[in-house]
Amino acid sequence: MSHSTIALCRTPPYGSAIAREGLEAVLTSAAMEQEIDLLFLGDGIFQLLDHQSPEEIGQKSLRRNLLALPMFGIEQVLVCHKSLRDRTITLDQVQIPGVEVKTIREPGTLIAAYHCVLSF
Amino acid sequence: MTLHIVNQSPFSSNALQDCLENFAQGDVLLLIEDGVYALQGEFFRAIPGARIYCLEVDTAARAQEATASAKPNVEVINDIRWVQLCTQHNPIVSWFR
Amino acid sequence: MRNLDVEGRKIPLDKEGYLRELCDWSPSVAVQLAQAEGIELTEAHWEVIKLLQEFYHRFELSPAMRPLVHYIRQHLGADKGRSIYLMQLFPPSPAKIASKIAGLPKPTNCL
Repeated sequence: MSHSTIALCRTPPYGSAIAREGLEAVLTSAAMEQEIDLLFLGDGIFQLLDHQSPEEIGQKSLRRNLLALPMFGIEQVLVCHKSLRDRTITLDQVQIPGVEVKTIREPGTLIAAYHCVLSF
Repeated sequence: MTLHIVNQSPFSSNALQDCLENFAQGDVLLLIEDGVYALQGEFFRAIPGARIYCLEVDTAARAQEATASAKPNVEVINDIRWVQLCTQHNPIVSWFR
Repeated sequence: MRNLDVEGRKIPLDKEGYLRELCDWSPSVAVQLAQAEGIELTEAHWEVIKLLQEFYHRFELSPAMRPLVHYIRQHLGADKGRSIYLMQLFPPSPAKIASKIAGLPKPTNCL
């Protein structure tokens, strides 16, 4: 069995601190050279949208943090195909420079292959 | 095979719906806390044949014992069985929001 | 509260010596912050400080060692994009010390 880890990013970026705290956990693991994959699903998809300007609600842009993923050695993220479609979001709205965004049609099968699953 | 654990009512949270969309063949579902209110609906049609467990104390507390026994794939379990499920499955995914 | 005296201004620091207000930063503030760490700033230091500030504005986070090394390598090449090089410039903990001198918050992903 592999000892791989995947983080499920399920929450939108600004309604609560969960998305940011989850991302911080992911970045910290990556900074410590721990391999970790990311799957965006449900409202977590909204974290990826380009053109987030949260300054006027007193928050930092989560999208900007995501742009740093390649600096942490994360060069691929997974997104749930159905979650994108349910929200009428297209793949070109969730691109991150230097990162391959890969759509997943059977997330259950994907998740089952991991050893450890974190959910944010 | 994955053990999915849901602790939110499907009538006020997307946790169960998200879980069911990420369910693979052979996975099992455990309902705890307010998650047991899923027994009041028809949610499990999305995962025909899957084993569904609910935690005895939470089920009893929320008056769901009758709905649990009326559903064919549902088994009411105690804490020891819960621990067994955790040791028998990997990974374990918590759907707590 | 600790203060840093720079050109007659009192600049507040937190208990670890980071600027309380990021907008208080100036090159002369950096020189004094560096002195407090026993570091004499050279061109080699300044180019790292500038990139660090650029990183912060671009990604809205203070980088830990791994992303810092990656960013430096991207901009200054493989000779400088190494932890040993940064270690020599900003001992003993480059991500923390360089962030402090650059006027940024303490890196969040540094344990």
